[in-house]
Amino acid sequence: MKRCRVVIVDAATVIAEGVASLLTRSTRCEVIGAYSTIADIHTLLAAGRVDVVVASVSLLHRIEECAELNNMPVVGIVSTLHEEEVLRKFTATISIYNSAEDIERVVCDAVATPTENNFTDSHELSDRERDVLVLVARGYTNKEIASELNISPHTVISHRKNIVHKTGIRSVAGLTVYAVLNKLIDSEQL
Amino acid sequence: MNRKHETPYLSVFSPDMKIFELVETAPSLLSIFSRLDITLPFGDISVAQMCERDGRNVDLFLIICSMHVDSSYRPTRESLHIDMLQDVVAYLRASHRYYAEHMLPHTSQHLEKILQHCDELSRNLLRRFYDDYSRYIVEHFEEEERCIFAFADSRAGGVADCSILDMPHADIDDRSNDIASLIFKSLPAAAPTQLRCNTLEHIYALRDDLRRHTKVESMVLRPLVEMYIKSGDDETL
Repeated sequence: MKRCRVVIVDAATVIAEGVASLLTRSTRCEVIGAYSTIADIHTLLAAGRVDVVVASVSLLHRIEECAELNNMPVVGIVSTLHEEEVLRKFTATISIYNSAEDIERVVCDAVATPTENNFTDSHELSDRERDVLVLVARGYTNKEIASELNISPHTVISHRKNIVHKTGIRSVAGLTVYAVLNKLIDSEQL
Repeated sequence: MNRKHETPYLSVFSPDMKIFELVETAPSLLSIFSRLDITLPFGDISVAQMCERDGRNVDLFLIICSMHVDSSYRPTRESLHIDMLQDVVAYLRASHRYYAEHMLPHTSQHLEKILQHCDELSRNLLRRFYDDYSRYIVEHFEEEERCIFAFADSRAGGVADCSILDMPHADIDDRSNDIASLIFKSLPAAAPTQLRCNTLEHIYALRDDLRRHTKVESMVLRPLVEMYIKSGDDETL
């Protein structure tokens, strides 16, 4: 049976390493690594080397800004109290008090079931998506946007998909009008 | 008189139907009569009688009606005959005129009313976006008429370029959606809801009509042109 490839992200090293250690014992999981920020896993995500991300619920804002995570199972690590509304955005959640077996089961189930995180439910553009939109409106190509923002072209494409999804606008001309009407860009910058 | 037809029309349509019944079943078909400039009144004549009177292909007429009212309807290749080519070109050319002279200006008038509630920058941007969109559509029509229609109605020699029927249609559909999205999401609350809804209704109606038009081009015109070329009769064109 193919093992699911997992990355763990938590600013608290003891939690990230702890969850990684528990999952390393599992025959169903392959732990790719434990990291402290979402930025650390961008390259892995862009390369398609991850099946599921297990990340602290406290990193929600960073998760929402990461375009690749919109179509990937993300299991939230709960180590303190959070609003129910926040928890619902994740595919599933685990508590730091769960047993190793429960954590393994939840993580593997998250991979097996269709992605049900709700990071894209918000129709507000993230800061990063706004950056991309402004550059699209200014006529930059995907490659130029990637270079300007220091991200991969694959990530730019993911951001653009999210922008289209959230704004309902596909053409560059339409996105440009949207950017000006929403004061993301001055018409003189065009 | 009951005629048997091999053409798989939408089950509710038949050549023996009275025009009145046809329109009563789907009033939106009136726009087809309008763009084909079909003479009114119809009295009690049937679809077949009307087509015979006006020299139209009844099978093609019913295929177009079926495609107009049912977005899932697809004519089979067997239901298409080369002798429909001239008629479908006449219909599509009339449709082009209908968009250029009626639907696009009419939608523009509605848009203009709503733009009066916007600040100058928004007004200019949206007006220019719509004008560019209109111009793009009309230029696309002209290109189709030059590359395909002229070939089909014997005015030009050379080769029909069917590629014009492919890519740009997706772009037209995207731009139609974009206008609706921009108005839906970006206009200030000062624009009255009723006016905004009316404008959106016109834009969606234009988008949907263009989609149906595109379907007739790709599912009727294109196979007919290909059939014509394959038949070897193109030398006479």
